[in-house]
Amino acid sequence: MIETKWSFGRLMVLGAAWTVLAFLVMPMIIVFPVSVTDQYYLSLPKEHISWEHYAKFFSDEKWLDATFQSVVIATSSTILAVLLGTLCAIGCWRIASAWSERVRTFMLLPIIVPTIVQALALYRFWIDLGIVDTYIGVILAHTLVAIPYVVITVSASLANFDVRLEQASRNLGASIGQTVRWVIVPSIMPGVLSGGLFAFTISFDEIVMVLFITSRNIYTLPKRIWNGIQDHLDPTIASVATLLIAVTLALLIMDLWLRRKRETK
Amino acid sequence: MPEGTPGARSGHALSLRNLSKYYGATAAVDGVDLDVPRGSFLTLLGPSGSGKTTILMAIAGFVEPSGGSILLDDKDITRLPPDKRNFGMVFQGYALFPHMTVADNIWFPLKVRGVSKADASTKIKNALELVQMGHLAERFPSQLSGGQQQRVALARAIVFEPDLLLLDEPLSALDKKLRADLQWELKSLHQRLGTTFIYVTHDQEEALSMSDNIVILRDGQIEQEGVPGDLYEKPATKFVADFLGKSNFLQGKLATKQADTFAYVCGGQTLVQKGAPDHAKVTGDILIALRPEKITLTPQRPSTTNAVAGRITAFNYYGSAYHFQVGTEAMGELIATAPAWTCAVEPSIGNEIWLGWEPDASVVVRDR
Repeated sequence: MIETKWSFGRLMVLGAAWTVLAFLVMPMIIVFPVSVTDQYYLSLPKEHISWEHYAKFFSDEKWLDATFQSVVIATSSTILAVLLGTLCAIGCWRIASAWSERVRTFMLLPIIVPTIVQALALYRFWIDLGIVDTYIGVILAHTLVAIPYVVITVSASLANFDVRLEQASRNLGASIGQTVRWVIVPSIMPGVLSGGLFAFTISFDEIVMVLFITSRNIYTLPKRIWNGIQDHLDPTIASVATLLIAVTLALLIMDLWLRRKRETK
Repeated sequence: MPEGTPGARSGHALSLRNLSKYYGATAAVDGVDLDVPRGSFLTLLGPSGSGKTTILMAIAGFVEPSGGSILLDDKDITRLPPDKRNFGMVFQGYALFPHMTVADNIWFPLKVRGVSKADASTKIKNALELVQMGHLAERFPSQLSGGQQQRVALARAIVFEPDLLLLDEPLSALDKKLRADLQWELKSLHQRLGTTFIYVTHDQEEALSMSDNIVILRDGQIEQEGVPGDLYEKPATKFVADFLGKSNFLQGKLATKQADTFAYVCGGQTLVQKGAPDHAKVTGDILIALRPEKITLTPQRPSTTNAVAGRITAFNYYGSAYHFQVGTEAMGELIATAPAWTCAVEPSIGNEIWLGWEPDASVVVRDR
């Protein structure tokens, strides 16, 4: 073991690091005590701990409907993004030319371009297509933002994929389609699943686009929270936030587990 | 052959006509004409960059030729996609599917041909037994040793009775002893199946021990082809004599010419050489290749037609043989080998000995 020296400089660095960490994590942690408050506005519990705001979430149709809408939209756009992103990554990997590299860079644009700019553009375009404030409109918009994440994770998996496996498959009589289904996709599954998790998380808490391209019909969970804050400081928001953090953490842990599995393989 | 034995049908013939592959301006394969006879074991032998793997990949359909054609039994298959060619291939590094068991790997070529696993079970079992892997059918490739993976790759390549078996340096990753064992197995497998084998290697020993025919490649062109014995005994060029086995090269000038021999001067000493096939054309500068094992080593001057005195400068002991480096005044450093148990000279550095050989022990070669 290396002997630790508790010099002044070291304490300063450690202190600064922990302060930054606390600054990042505290707001997330504070929502939990707020969510169990016994008051009717956003505050810490005064007399006792109360679960009534959770009960309210699970009994209020407005909240349940928003959750349902978010789940439908996130699931649909995840399926679309995984399908399109995986095909794009495999195609670019297979062609492997200067042009396919350009295509891959082009696919990352939705990450680079500010979301608000995209939202504005999509709003104009969606009006012409007549899909403003519809499920299909939001699903397409979220697919667009999620595809780059799938392309990145799947491309990373493909970088470790032995080209000879593809050649072996073709040599043994498999068509391109059979090769993709039975050899390539099973081998890059961790990357595909990882991309899917990213896509789902991104769609589930995306709000900028939703604010632009929806009005009365579509109310996703983030949009309901946003409205809740504007109307009155209902502590139900804190309980929803806590639930969201729990779900996101679960997905992240799943992703880490998948990565570890891929690395030990 | 019993029913269900892989590759029971007779072998097919393959021909390359003026095959070329260019990468930019450089030719990886440069106008190769080749006929692989039905059911034969042909080896493409050459150093790295000689084009041997490119030719194999073109035959398999993974490299599109820049020019020329590939014929299977006189049918042009140059533009046929790889999955439509029905050729088995054993890849360098085996290329087993890591997410499938051994049995599923071998089922794969049958599965893509629409055969259910139940219907394929007899063929899978037979193929595994043919390579002595029947007991490991449910393992995954990562749980197998290199030699075992090699056997599975072989079983997978022959289970669908391919028209041709292509092997891309299949033994290069294995240790020496295992490699020798598998050479015997591959050869006997070839005899049992009757399938045409095309084998790519840079290992001359593998080529000599297994092949019916060897094609030696250099810079994308065929340098020389023939049966192993002919290539070893009668190399046409310095490159072949040097790449296939070891050789001493004696540079000389023609002195006098007889009916089927000629005398030449090398380093001030006159030596006699049996004539080459183009004996009549031999003139001026001459290059002679002399195999180290064809030199007789003696303590006194031998009675052979050619004899040169020298001094041992280095030697290695290999159990079965001694390898000597002998310094001579006339022709510099020569290498010679002798069976260890009948070695006539005492192996010690500085020992003065004689090197002797007959006129038919060496061959005339072209510089290129």
